[in-house]
Amino acid sequence: MIETPTEVPADERPLHARATWRLAGAMALAVALISVLAMGLQYRLVAARLTEAQRALLTADLDALAALYEQRRIIALRQAIAFRAEAGAEEMLLLMDRDGNVLAGTLGGWPEGLIPSGDGFTVDPAQEIDRDGTRWLVVARDLPGGFPLLVGRSLAPVDATLAALRQGMAGLLAAILAAGAFVGWLAARWVMGRIGRLNALADVVAAGNLDARLPGPRSRDEFGLLESHVHTMLDRIANLNRATHRLSDTIAHEMRTPLNRMLRKLDRIEGQEEVTGEVRAEMRQAIRVFDSLLDISRAEADQGGGGLVPVDLSVVAAEVWDLYEALAEDKGLVTAAKIDPAVEVLGDRHLIAQMLANLLDNAIKYCAPGDQLRLSLAGGERAVLRVADTGPGLPAELREEAFERFVRADRDRAKGIKGHGLGLALVRAIALRHGARLTLPKVEKGLTVEVAFPRPLG
Amino acid sequence: MDRILIIEDDAETAAAVAAVVRALDCAAEHRDTLDAGVAEAAGDYKVIVLDRTLPGGDGVDAIARIRAGGSRALILVLSALGRAAQRVEGLEKGADDYLPKPFEEDELRARLRALLRRGTMQVLDNDLLAFGDLEIRMKARTVHVKRAHVPVSPKEFELITYFARNAGQIVTRMQLLENVWNLHFDPGTNVVDVHVGRLRRKLEDAGSPAIQTARGEGYVFAPLPAAGGAG
Repeated sequence: MIETPTEVPADERPLHARATWRLAGAMALAVALISVLAMGLQYRLVAARLTEAQRALLTADLDALAALYEQRRIIALRQAIAFRAEAGAEEMLLLMDRDGNVLAGTLGGWPEGLIPSGDGFTVDPAQEIDRDGTRWLVVARDLPGGFPLLVGRSLAPVDATLAALRQGMAGLLAAILAAGAFVGWLAARWVMGRIGRLNALADVVAAGNLDARLPGPRSRDEFGLLESHVHTMLDRIANLNRATHRLSDTIAHEMRTPLNRMLRKLDRIEGQEEVTGEVRAEMRQAIRVFDSLLDISRAEADQGGGGLVPVDLSVVAAEVWDLYEALAEDKGLVTAAKIDPAVEVLGDRHLIAQMLANLLDNAIKYCAPGDQLRLSLAGGERAVLRVADTGPGLPAELREEAFERFVRADRDRAKGIKGHGLGLALVRAIALRHGARLTLPKVEKGLTVEVAFPRPLG
Repeated sequence: MDRILIIEDDAETAAAVAAVVRALDCAAEHRDTLDAGVAEAAGDYKVIVLDRTLPGGDGVDAIARIRAGGSRALILVLSALGRAAQRVEGLEKGADDYLPKPFEEDELRARLRALLRRGTMQVLDNDLLAFGDLEIRMKARTVHVKRAHVPVSPKEFELITYFARNAGQIVTRMQLLENVWNLHFDPGTNVVDVHVGRLRRKLEDAGSPAIQTARGEGYVFAPLPAAGGAG
């Protein structure tokens, strides 16, 4: 398999855009996480403080009851609790006798499952109980003589405050997330816009316009710096490209002018036709090699570049086939061509003709009388040009490098088949110039070369 | 006497071109810079032989200026920039012919003759081209020798009309490849010879030795035994 041009598919770009979005999302999420952590700490602090306040109230209640108990024991307690219950106390109060009868209080009976613990009128140990969906902080005691006492404070204000706080925090979190996403979206849009400009420039350059530049001044930030760097790179590439083209022209001029003078001097030599004829042929051959090298490097330099126009590949193929078919027939080859009509590609007619001529010339050179030579052109998703012969084919060790410059099979040198190993190298350079895929399909006999051109859109 | 202007900075090449021009019974005028050449081109010249890498710029880029100066001369670019792409570029920019250096004098002579003739002979629109007993009918695209029809392929018909247009003159293989097949690279093999050979045999079988091999570079279409020699 011969190397294939690796075009960067255009659909890769949205992926990069998604990367920008991911970054913005991650940043918004990080901000939200830190906020949640801070709010959590605050929530715990508030919850502790509010519980502490209810506990202080409970302590005060107990202290008051303790003072009464000091004076007149159960009777005073009973009076005070009955008075408080009468007055509609918000706290929970209950005093019972040893038989389980209610002496006074805000409750009708001892709460189920509540076991009195501890001594005296201290707040510790306190318990939490649940009554009708409300949490209470209660102190349950058995007073000396078997009088159970219950004093409690509702935790409802704490829970209400905490619920309100939770609601507020949830709202705040949603707001932070929304703000983060919005800022992230703005940042992503901005970054994508700046990167999009560079991507658009790269596309224009890849399409062959090396002189394309971004308009306007460069901004004084990293993007501006990146744009400046890209511009500097493009300037260098354009300069190198120009220098290469100039150099090949200069080389051609500096070589052909003296060769021309030599030829003029040869013209003056008389009576040695054979020798001068050979010298002329050698000179012509040297120029051919030279031109091929320059053509190859030019086609490689222009690879992926613009300057291609719609070409009717069918017409070009038919013309070149017409030219070479006669040569093949004269050599005794069995020829056949199957060319689909009106297969259009973007290309350079002369380069394509030269490529096909090289392929046919090559096939004819290696085939023996009786071998077959077939040309086919099929239009489809790609325009596939195929030259197939039943000649000796490529030696196995040459399959990989047959399209390299100056690569020739040893058996050709041995047989005295002339060549410089540039024909197929030029074929590859011209194929790449057209963004075409060049392959050597495995065949039973001979050599098949396939060039698959991309089709113009529409 | 037709005048030919040579714009060429290499003295030796210019002298060789001038010698070919004089051998064609034309007067040669030489300028060795682009600007002097473009100025002189306004004069009465049939053909301008134009170099490319000249002091003052690229000759091909000056073709538009030469035309703008009122010149009606046919332009033959003679340049060391001889790769196929450069030849095509020259022709696309308005050159009438393009010969790469180093060149054979025969080749230059054949091309100058063709250009000189093109200036005078514009009667090819005639339907019937008759050369003694060889007749070519343009509209019907048929060839007859001694009243007998000679079947030719479309390409062979184009080949024989190109020969007919340059009857009596040497036509080189390179000229045939460029003008009949519109290919501007050197195939390095005898592809053209095969086609000329086939056409030639067909004509000979019909009794017309019209196509002859010329010594050196090409062929001559000389259907009339007495018509030999060129203009």
